Amino acid sequence: MKVKASYHRLDPTWCNGCGLFGVFDALKRAAVALAIEPEELVIVTGIGCHGRLNNYFRAYGFHGLHGRTMPVATGIKLVNPGLQVVAVSGDGDAYSIGLGHFLHALRKNVGLTYIVVDNRIYALTQGQASPTTDFGMVTMSTPVGSKDYPIDGPSLALAAGGTFIARGFSGEVAHLASLIERGMKHDGFALIDVLSPCVTHNKLNSYDWYKKHILHVEEVPGYSPRAKAKAWEALNDPEKIAVGLIYEEDKPSFEELVLPDREKPIASLDLKVDVPRLGKIMDGFR
Amino acid sequence: MLSNWPTPEALEWTSQDERSMIKDLAVMIAGKAGDGVLFTGNVLAKVLKRHGWEIVTSRDFPSNIRGESTCYTVRASLDKIYGLSDQVNILLAFDCEAILAHLPEIAANGIVFCDGQGMTTPPPEQTLGRTFHRFSLRALAREQFGQEIFKNVIALGALSYVLDLDASLLDGIISEMFLKRKGEEVVRKNVQAARFGYDKAREITAETERHPLAKKADDDQVLISGNEAIGLGALAAGCRYFAAYPICPATEIWQWLVHYLPGFGGAVVQTEDELAALNMTLGASFAGARAMTSTSGPGASLMMEAFSLAGMAEIPAVIAHVQRMGPATGMPTKSQQGDVLQWIFGSHGEFPRIVLAPGTVGECFELTVRAFNLADKYQCPVIILTELDMGQNFRTTRAFDFSGVRIERGKLLSTGELLGTADFKRYEITADGISPRSLPSWKNGVHLAESLEHDEKGYRDEDPLNRRRMMEKRMRKLDQASPDFCAPQVWGCQKAEVGFIGFGSTLGAILEAVEQLRAKSVPSRFLQLRTLWPFPAAEVRAFLAESRDIFVVEHNFSGELATLIKSQVSPCAELNNILNYSTLPFTPREIVEPVLRSRR
Ligand SMILES: Cc1ncc(C[n+]2csc(CCOP(=O)(O)OP(=O)(O)O)c2C)c(N)n1
Ligand code: SF4
Repeated sequence: MKVKASYHRLDPTWCNGCGLFGVFDALKRAAVALAIEPEELVIVTGIGCHGRLNNYFRAYGFHGLHGRTMPVATGIKLVNPGLQVVAVSGDGDAYSIGLGHFLHALRKNVGLTYIVVDNRIYALTQGQASPTTDFGMVTMSTPVGSKDYPIDGPSLALAAGGTFIARGFSGEVAHLASLIERGMKHDGFALIDVLSPCVTHNKLNSYDWYKKHILHVEEVPGYSPRAKAKAWEALNDPEKIAVGLIYEEDKPSFEELVLPDREKPIASLDLKVDVPRLGKIMDGFR
Repeated sequence: MLSNWPTPEALEWTSQDERSMIKDLAVMIAGKAGDGVLFTGNVLAKVLKRHGWEIVTSRDFPSNIRGESTCYTVRASLDKIYGLSDQVNILLAFDCEAILAHLPEIAANGIVFCDGQGMTTPPPEQTLGRTFHRFSLRALAREQFGQEIFKNVIALGALSYVLDLDASLLDGIISEMFLKRKGEEVVRKNVQAARFGYDKAREITAETERHPLAKKADDDQVLISGNEAIGLGALAAGCRYFAAYPICPATEIWQWLVHYLPGFGGAVVQTEDELAALNMTLGASFAGARAMTSTSGPGASLMMEAFSLAGMAEIPAVIAHVQRMGPATGMPTKSQQGDVLQWIFGSHGEFPRIVLAPGTVGECFELTVRAFNLADKYQCPVIILTELDMGQNFRTTRAFDFSGVRIERGKLLSTGELLGTADFKRYEITADGISPRSLPSWKNGVHLAESLEHDEKGYRDEDPLNRRRMMEKRMRKLDQASPDFCAPQVWGCQKAEVGFIGFGSTLGAILEAVEQLRAKSVPSRFLQLRTLWPFPAAEVRAFLAESRDIFVVEHNFSGELATLIKSQVSPCAELNNILNYSTLPFTPREIVEPVLRSRR
């Protein structure tokens, strides 16, 4: 049996009250629920406050470059599809510098769980506007208010053919954990966008602000995450931010489509030099 | 490791005069993009190869699909050759422009076939003994076979006659090419067209104009491009994951591997850009695959950040870089050696890297195998640096010896070795700087591949003393590595005042130059660098000491190799640069002339 302590390496040093604690806790809970061996879990992080997560978590990890979690995680997953590969990015990491990679990993439907910790600010670099910062918000980089219209990760994901699109709130850890757990079980790409306060650099989007603005889709009468039209409607609500499992569909994953045999991971292939077979290939050049 | 490259002794010296056209000749096919120049050249090269000859091809193509001038040269010889000569013996031109463009290259007793509207024989003061034949390929193809496309096979048949080749060689290749894809009828029609061309050539040329080729028994030769040889090297070395973004002139590596990797249990992935290509290669390698990417200059620039990550997180990675003309988008279909320092000094921070530069197709294979072993052993990025000239052109070489390929994975532990480990340290500080490696899913091997400065277990650590120790650990990995590298090779005369230094595909022209100089009683030697980094300073220093006049030959503007030598060998002898930044690779003459001039 696994307990949260099985995945705990070190106490995080994020600011007191940071939403990242909720994400850290939810990820552990999901791992407990699925009883994943720490060795079978790989956490790939981007650069930002969120990027420290795999320094604190006990599992294999890859802390790479700003915005590049997706290709790294894809490489890992394809080479060893038996691994549970979870990537964690910030809103800058995922929706700005890594936006291209995000959409391409998603459209390929690579079997990754992508947790985007959206604090609507560049936190580690001390508070500049991010692609999800509200229009008009004053930040370090926008002293007279942001002139950029924000984008919304789950909406992009829905437009780009995402097969599992969810949004959680780091103030509701149990709910977030259940979304992550479902995302990990999904055979394909799972996006879990997380509304997550940065208590130091974003005084506007606080826990209370989110509580006032979120709407749980599971509480909407007749809502089905299998209905795309309803998902669009929920994401386009001008007043409320939809949370919960917004959309889900079944589609073959990239691993299933491109790997010769998922049961024979590339990572454990015997690389023995097959001299006769290579010789035959060489004959083609005669 | 196998040693596949031919030894310098294998170079048989023959003077220019001895090498009459029968033993050495070049055929150029020229026309417009869309004329089938590439097809015709490739088939001719294969026919001549099967005739038992050594082959070097060279293509000069525009970067569009149709309409602009292209040409393809096939040089064939009974002797071992590595590059083109200065002359063309037979020109097959699909238009008159091609004649005007290439007339100066045509040998004095050369022969020209031209399918040009309004073709007239040049004035006698220009022909200088060359013969010109109007050969209405298109019209004949239309009349006889209903389609212009048969002009290429008709031309090949004609060349078969002029070179007095066994007609069945061409028939065989036609059938190999068309039977599976297009069926018997297409084969039959093409063989007929080849015969027609053969007979037509007999009609229009005099017996004295023929260039009958002596035949040599095929001694285990293959005809292969550098890009294909790199693909084959990767396959043999156990590369099972390949991620790349399309770019000329590197794409053939991928296009070749894509047909074979799945059959060997691997995967080829087209990424959204080169940032993804290298990052994905690193992810795959971290998870245990032998992984590779390929690119050219613009992609290499995009890979620089991840290159540094490979250095910091100590992840093995193989990057094949086939150079083209920069800067920026430059000239995508022209060869160049302008990206050397990019990999040696490029990216942020300091970290060990290895840059290999094959000079023959055999070395493309050999050094690719070696690149994977070096990447695993030293847990760092390894670059295989070639050029379009090497990558896309075909050369004959001895068939590769796969039985000599060894797969050495360095300090990658086994699951068994890890079982007894209680306190695994992925970045353990060791005497040689190289640390043990575990793979995700392995018990007791949990660690973080960390891009931030880290402690021995891979976790972030900003302690100044740790930083110093980690920096020293990484940087000393290559201190003792030199026996593993491919040492420079000395070609040419035993003792000589003139010394050439170069790398990569300039080898062919330099060796031709060495030979031409020898015929003029100017003995010279050539130091071919095969590992550019870590720099083989001891060997270069020794070579400099033994030579009086040094010429560093490079296909770039600013002499990147000379700059590198000066930065690594101090004090350094005076270096003369022979540079070429034109759109065509060196001709031997361009190397010989400056040497002769300097001795006047
Ligand atoms: C290529 C590159 N550019 C810039 C940076 C500097 N940088 C570090 S973190 C960061 C933004 C972080 O914002 P976000 O991804 O939202 O993460 P958060 O800190 O909010 O968790 C930036 C710009 C970098 N590390 N790499
Ligand atoms: S700066 Fe913001 S995001 Fe970073 S740790 Fe502090 S509260 Fe969290």
